Parts: sequence; structure tokens; C-alpha cells
Amino acid sequence: MSQQKYTRKIIHIDMDAFYASVEQRDNPEYVGKPIVVGGSPEGRGGVVATASYEARKFGIRSAMPSKRALQLCPDVIFIRPRFAAYKEASNKIREIFGRYTDIIEPLSLDEAYLDVTKDKQGIGSALEIAKQIKNAIRNELHLTASAGVSVNKFVAKIASDMNKPDGLTFIGPSAIEHFMEGLPVEKFFGVGKVTAEKMKSMGLHTGADLKKLSLDEITEHFGKPGKFYYQIVRGIDEREVQAHRETKSVGAEDTFAYDLTSRDEMNAELDKIASIVAERLQKHGLKGRTITLKIKYSDFKVITRNKSFTQLSNDLELIRDTAKQLLNATEPEGKATRLLGISLSNFEEVVSKKVRGRSDQLELF
Amino acid sequence: MRFIVTSTALLKNLQQISGVISANTVLSVLEDFLFELKGNTLTLTATDLETMMRVQMDVNDAQGNGRICIPSKILVDYLKNLPEQPITFSINEQDLSIEMSSDVGKYRIGGEKADDFPKEPAPGDTSNFTMSSIALLESINKTLFAVSTDTLRPAMTGVYFELATDSITFVSTDAHRLVQFKRTDVVCPAQDGFVVPKKPLQQLRATLPADETQLQLSYNSSHLFVSTNKLSLSCRLIDARFPDYKAVIPQDNPYKLTINRNDFVSALRRVSIFANKTTNQVVLDINGNSVNLSAQDIDFSYEGKEKLSCQYTGEDMKIAFNAKLMVELVNNIDGNEVNLELSTPTRAGIFRPIDKVENEDVLMLLMPLMVGV
Repeated sequence: MSQQKYTRKIIHIDMDAFYASVEQRDNPEYVGKPIVVGGSPEGRGGVVATASYEARKFGIRSAMPSKRALQLCPDVIFIRPRFAAYKEASNKIREIFGRYTDIIEPLSLDEAYLDVTKDKQGIGSALEIAKQIKNAIRNELHLTASAGVSVNKFVAKIASDMNKPDGLTFIGPSAIEHFMEGLPVEKFFGVGKVTAEKMKSMGLHTGADLKKLSLDEITEHFGKPGKFYYQIVRGIDEREVQAHRETKSVGAEDTFAYDLTSRDEMNAELDKIASIVAERLQKHGLKGRTITLKIKYSDFKVITRNKSFTQLSNDLELIRDTAKQLLNATEPEGKATRLLGISLSNFEEVVSKKVRGRSDQLELF
Repeated sequence: MRFIVTSTALLKNLQQISGVISANTVLSVLEDFLFELKGNTLTLTATDLETMMRVQMDVNDAQGNGRICIPSKILVDYLKNLPEQPITFSINEQDLSIEMSSDVGKYRIGGEKADDFPKEPAPGDTSNFTMSSIALLESINKTLFAVSTDTLRPAMTGVYFELATDSITFVSTDAHRLVQFKRTDVVCPAQDGFVVPKKPLQQLRATLPADETQLQLSYNSSHLFVSTNKLSLSCRLIDARFPDYKAVIPQDNPYKLTINRNDFVSALRRVSIFANKTTNQVVLDINGNSVNLSAQDIDFSYEGKEKLSCQYTGEDMKIAFNAKLMVELVNNIDGNEVNLELSTPTRAGIFRPIDKVENEDVLMLLMPLMVGV
């Protein structure tokens, strides 16, 4: 097959143990030590947000309960996250990206896709750009990043994960199909445990096995994502790097130090959360139509309840009262509640629709 | 307790009430059916705390009275996959185990305590009246589609039952359209009114028999109760004042257009394909004894036009409506032809059927769109 189907150059940058690295940079006494940024193992116990590479040697991983981390490595140092510091570092990293391209899609504070098909400095080589970005991050911020360079988002992301930390992996057009054929199925985007097991039970272990299926067969077995697998295994991933991802929702939530059972306490928390949400909305100049209340009970069951309005709003009182109403409608008696959250969604679309309509429906009341 | 029941009969009865159970509940007992055995009568109940439905059926070889909650999804799934045959239910209320044995196998489910199931609201202090099942069905069919989904105006999210000593009127509105459906074959105890939410009405529509079965209706300030000898439903009423709908119905629309209903609906459907997808605006240009329908979407350079003949008495006029709302409205009017009464392009149009059905009086009103000309 001709190589002309590949027309883009995509870099995926993933910071190495980002939160932990920022802590080690800012606190020299942590350098070379196993540290965990996240919740402390005391009390009800938090979870690991990021573990330093020294901690990872003991088998400590993200999302692991902190108590378990302590069992694996009794010397591990727990550090409360300082999100403001990470946010600041993340902004500086983004500023470095901006020297090369404006098509940047941040996935989180420590991860982003860059489209460098046309780079601002006329360097021309995506591999060279990735090297320069890594150097800039090292020299200016004293942090390390791993980069994956390829022709689409999917392969770039897999590549960035291949030689961590401080890695740089390039998978060029000629190597892609061979690379995809050798890839285990669980590495495919969107393939979780269940799908992976299903695939294996069908004798599908690698990309090469998946490639043998026709489009009809693959969609029959795996539904809509089947088409995505079919394309991706042939090195095709048309997803654009989305520079300006629309804000879909704005919210805030809080996990409590102890489980709340009384309505009064919960309402007081909702007051606080609602004012944070309203402030964020006002800061971003957004108004939403749908207010969603999220509740996590002590048994970790999560429910959400929402209410939609015909008019856009970012009004604190409305958000607060609606959240309380939604809370009231959930549960007849006080069930132990671990977390409450409020978010607003359904933003611009409605405005633009209203503006676009060249006529107005008249109302009776 | 123990009883034998035919699988398909049990399934049929459970399906009559299972629609009440809401998909995501917080209390696990709300995902259950309440089974109550008394003599040879099995009573099945489902609820979402707002609406409660109950159905009774006869069973065979019943031993012992008792009550238990059985998870609905697994039970219904099982029954759906079972060919018609008798099933023996053996229920131990102490350890809450339920065993179902059929010709082909034995199945076990864990239940929940019957006492945890919500109690039915007590029908104290109620007023009563009766109407036929088919009459209530027809009333729901004619009004439910126009109910509002705007939770900011809760009164409009249900159907208003307006009682009078010689009639009952059902009213629904979403502020753009309004349906008033009056029946004169019902005698109510007093002048009164209440708003019934959408969900219980959908349930009634799905389960009431389309025949002359007499329904007992009773209500108080908070609840409505509807029952036949087998089936009963109770629901919480919407606690809000229904808007003064009579004030917005024009009394003197002087112009009258009569048109073939099917032709009108088909033309509207075709023309609206070319309309702006947000407004669905279709302009009716009424001119002598013909009406020109037109729609356009400037963004995509779409345009559609059709000409229909009609009978019209009045001044020529141009008036725009949301075609989607209009099609829905006209589809709910019986008869080959339909009347549209108009006054000005900014005032409501009133649709009525030409042929009046005995004991029924229906009026449907639609607000126009302001045409930006």
C-alpha cells in the first residue's frame, strides 16, 4: 500500500511521574527517594495519584490505595498534592509546545498531543522537534518527558509509553503496519479487560490477528468500536488534534473527611461547592442549562441526578437550590455519603441555536 | 409460602406494572416487585415512590400467606426465557430465599424484606367518580403528547384534570401549544382540579383495557387513585397551580380554513424537510381557496414549496408555525378534514375536528412563529 495515506506528523508528550517529579525538583530532600503524591494512608485512606520511579520499583502504582503502597514500601514518603504548583509547571510546558505549533490538545496537566505537520519554526522533522521540546523541558523546567512521534494520535501515544522515562520513540510510516501487527490487543485504545478477554477467547491476541477479520466480522463482534479497531490496525486514525476543545462541563466536588449522614451537613457542603462552581462559571463566562448533582455513597456507589432548564444560567442561588432539590429527591433517609459534586453543562450550543433561528416561537403564558 | 403459577400469566401481569420501576434507583427495594399471597390470590406491586401499581392474579395450590420482595429484572428475564409451563414458587420469608422450579430446572433468587417496601399512600379523605377505561384512555391519548418537559414550570409537566358536575376536561400545554379535551359522559362529585404527572398516565395508557370496563377514580389533595377490579394505580399529584389556560384560548378567531387532514400532514412533512432544523418553520400563505406551504434554510440553500387547495373564509394572510409541533397536533385530530381558525399572524391558531364525536369536545391550539419580515 502506498505511504501517501499518512499526511500528518503527531507528537504525544507525556511527563514522567509528573507530580512526583515536580515535588522532587522543588524539595531536594526527596530526590532519589520513594515518594507518593496522593492521599495519606491514615484514617479512611487515600489513593496514590503519582509515584516516583523509586517508589515504582516496589510495585507502587497510580490509583492504588495508599495503605497498600505503605505495605509494599514502609519507607515511602507521602506528600499532599500541590495542584497549584503542577498547574504552573503545566502552563510552562504548554508555553514550550507553543514555540513549535498552535495545534495543541492537552489531555491533562501532564499529557498532550501536538500536530507538527507544519511547525512554526520550519524545522520540518517531527523527531527533531520532539528532541528540542524534551531538551527545553529538561533545561528550563528541570523535568523529564517521554515523547512518541508518529503519523496519528493512536500510534504516537503508544510510542510515548514505550521507553519511559525520558524516552523518545519514533514510529514512521514504513514501520506502522508492522508495529500494529505486533501490538497485543489490550494496548488498543478502548479495549478494556472485558473486550480483551473476549478477543483472546476468539484467538485474537495481536494486531495481526485482528487484521485478519473483515470489517463486517469485526463490527459484528465488537459493535461500533469495531470499525475503529479495523482502521487502527491498518495504521489509520483520522482523529484530529483538537486545539480548542470545547468546555463540556464545569463543576466541583468534594470528598469528605468522614461520611456525612445528616441533610444539614450535606446542604452546608452543597453551599460551598455551589459557590465554587458559580465562581468558575463566572470566571470562564459560561452559562449552562443542565445542573448535575453527583453523590458517592460510603459503599462507593455513585449516582448522578440532573435537571435541565430552558434558560442558561450561572446563578449561584439557582445552582445551590437545584442541587439541594436534587439531593432531597434522592433518598428518603440519610445514607452515608462520601462525596458530593455539582456540575453545569449544556453550554454554548443553545445560545448559537437561538441566534441562528431567524424567527421566534411565540408563547402562550 | 408456596404456590404454582403459569409462567406466561405471571409474566403478563408483571409486565403490566414493571414500567413503574425506574431504571436507576437508590433504594434496592425499589428494583423489586412486592409479592403478597393471601389464599389463592397473589398481589404484585411495583413503585418508584411517586407512582405505585398493583395487579392481582389467581394462583394454584397456595400454601400459607406471606409477603416478600423479589428483584424485578432477574425475575422478568427468567420468565421471558421460559416457554409456557407451570412454575412452583417456594418462598422462605425467614432467610428470604425464593426457589422457582419448573419442568426444566430449579432457580434461586435472594429476596428482600417485604416490610422495607414502601407503603401505599392511604386513600383517606377522597372524592370518587367513575368513568370507562376507553374514555380515560382516549383522554390520555389526546392530551399527553402536548405535555411540557420544562421542569422549571412543574404544573405544565402533567395533564390537568378539571372536574365539573356534568363533565371532565383534560388540559395539557407546553406554552407553545395547548390541548383541551372535554368529556360530557362523566359525572364528577364537585368542581375541582388536579395535575397528574406524565409517568403514571403513560403507565395507564400502556395497561388500561380499551373497552367499557368501569374505572374507579378517587383523589385527595395529594394523590390520585385509579382502579379496576384487577389493577390499581396510585400516584402523587403535581403540587403546583395549573396556568389559567382559558384566558389564552381566543374566543373570536374570525377566519376559518378547512383542509384535508392527510394531504395537509403529508405536505407539511415534505416541506419541513427543507426547513431550518432549529425552528422547523413552515409559512402558510393563505390566498383565496389555496394555501402555499413554504420552508427554507438559508445556510444550506434549501427551499421547499407546495400548494394545497382548501376552503377559506377570511382575509388573505401569511402565518408561520413550527411544522413539527403542527404535524403532531393535526395527527391527533380525528376525521378526514380539519378546521383551523385564525385571526392574526401573531395570535394562536385553533384546530378542531370537523366531525364531532358524541360526548367529546376537542380543541387544539398552536402559537405561531414570529416571521422575521
